[in-house]
Amino acid sequence: MSIAPVEQETVSPDEVAEVDVPWITLVWNDPVNLMSYVTFVFQSYFGYPKSKAEKLMMDVHVKGRAVVSNGTREQMETDTEALQGYGLWATFQKDD
Amino acid sequence: MARGFKRRDGRYAAKLDAVERGLVVGLMEQVHELVAPPEPSTPGEAASDGDEFDRIVAGLGGIGQGVSLSADDQVPELSGDVPAPRDPALDRLLPTANRQDEQMAAEFRRLTEDGLRSRKAANLSTAIAALSAPADGKDDKVSLDQEQALAVLISLTDVRLVLGERLGLKHDDDVELLEEQASSLPPDDPAVYALAVYDFLTWLQETLAHALRP
Repeated sequence: MSIAPVEQETVSPDEVAEVDVPWITLVWNDPVNLMSYVTFVFQSYFGYPKSKAEKLMMDVHVKGRAVVSNGTREQMETDTEALQGYGLWATFQKDD
Repeated sequence: MARGFKRRDGRYAAKLDAVERGLVVGLMEQVHELVAPPEPSTPGEAASDGDEFDRIVAGLGGIGQGVSLSADDQVPELSGDVPAPRDPALDRLLPTANRQDEQMAAEFRRLTEDGLRSRKAANLSTAIAALSAPADGKDDKVSLDQEQALAVLISLTDVRLVLGERLGLKHDDDVELLEEQASSLPPDDPAVYALAVYDFLTWLQETLAHALRP
């Protein structure tokens, strides 16, 4: 399937990037937070099923970090703030 | 002897004697003092007066320092983003929220720090009140409702984060390394005590996290 390019307003590349690039929330590994607690937070804050919460927790533990959510910058800032409220080492950034 | 949290009839029950409860509450009070939004009159001043943390980690210096392996590899971007030097434990409780963009991190901090500090302080207050009141008139029994249990769970995290920072924990293996080093110290050494406290809090939080599982 393809979409024929029809007449279109020209948009500068910067604007396109600003609109299209999704944002992500990351959680980083730390030596203090318990695996059971991190799983609990992913389940209760995001409402993720246990299997997904445990997989993300293991990614944080083994790989040092995991992308736990994605969306608009505002949403990612909200998630980051909430996760920091739980004591997790959360950051947000552009997904690149 | 303490008994960990168990879920029973929709409540969360544990057994902690007066000493154990006093220890946990005392540490929560210290973290409350550290994290509560600063008074307008003394901006940026964090708690550093003689406190329980100081007592616990007094004399820790050598051990705590010796353990930090290559801290540079672990958090390379973390430093430099925070304009004024402040208690590193605060930076652990409220970490830099964007590692790629200092301006965004600063803006996030400006917009969220007071709210986060207030929320953490409120959680700690709830936890302190819940653990200070003996349940059913029986001295060793702790019985928490859902909201109190959640506040205690989160507060235990914040206390362990601060204590972990004071102990110099940077890597997953650091607790074990510290325990190895502490095993050759006399039992009344402050480092041995601090580690025992940390382990006790870890155990207590683990039981509560399990009891709270959805």
